[in-house]
Amino acid sequence: MAMRASEMEKLNVEQLKALKEQSEMEVNVLQDSLSKIKTAVTRLDIASNALLDLSLRPQGKKMLVPLTASLYVSGTLEDADRVLVDVGTGYFIEKTTAEGKDYCDRKISLLKSNYDELMEVASKRKITGDEAGAILQAKLRQSTATT
Amino acid sequence: MGSSTALKELQRDLEVQANVLSKLQKEISKNHQVRKQYTIQLGENELVLKELDLLKEDANVYKLIGPVLVKQDLAEANANVRKRIEYISAELKRLDGSLQDLEDQQNSKKSAVMKIQQKIQTLQAGKAKS
Repeated sequence: MAMRASEMEKLNVEQLKALKEQSEMEVNVLQDSLSKIKTAVTRLDIASNALLDLSLRPQGKKMLVPLTASLYVSGTLEDADRVLVDVGTGYFIEKTTAEGKDYCDRKISLLKSNYDELMEVASKRKITGDEAGAILQAKLRQSTATT
Repeated sequence: MGSSTALKELQRDLEVQANVLSKLQKEISKNHQVRKQYTIQLGENELVLKELDLLKEDANVYKLIGPVLVKQDLAEANANVRKRIEYISAELKRLDGSLQDLEDQQNSKKSAVMKIQQKIQTLQAGKAKS
């Protein structure tokens, strides 16, 4: 769908309008995906930090476990070395803390590369939309000038 | 008064065709939605499969069934995810096929509607002249 400005010049007003709207819609969808990726990265970051935190605690350490946001029960840290990782679609995998951290880091880097890719696509679409808008404006001005 | 009854008939025809067209468009957007959902699921399943492939033979895998975690064989989990990917891919292919079909129908309906509109216009123009 990438279109050069020279090709856009040949389009009529209706087609330009449609192109502009289409580009804007796509940019919106992409922006939405970008923000979703960002929240996912933050969540993985939190998980990764929690794992790091957990690995620093000695076994048998007393702690408070949150049952709800305001209700805690006391507990002891039994085993800080094995964690369950939710990998999606209902599957959980038992991993060591190091493996779990590795999992988070891998996911984060995957998301970051996706983010950069999407960013590029979004900026290209935005340029297309802006160009279409500029040419549309020029054409409209031209048509009012001639009549 | 021949032209006026013809005009009325054309307008009725136009309405019928426009209804069919909007129904088709609704079906297409539904198809898009379902396809989006399946694509998301496919991506998720592929990520899970990648994770499962990275595991050692003796790794513990659990499956969440309702509120309980049930321990599952790695090979079994692997086979399950693979089967699901297969199913979703097949479903996506089927949806692609029906989408193509719907779009073809939509295009032919669009041109039919346009033709009727043109006919009405020429009829009205003729009437205005006489």
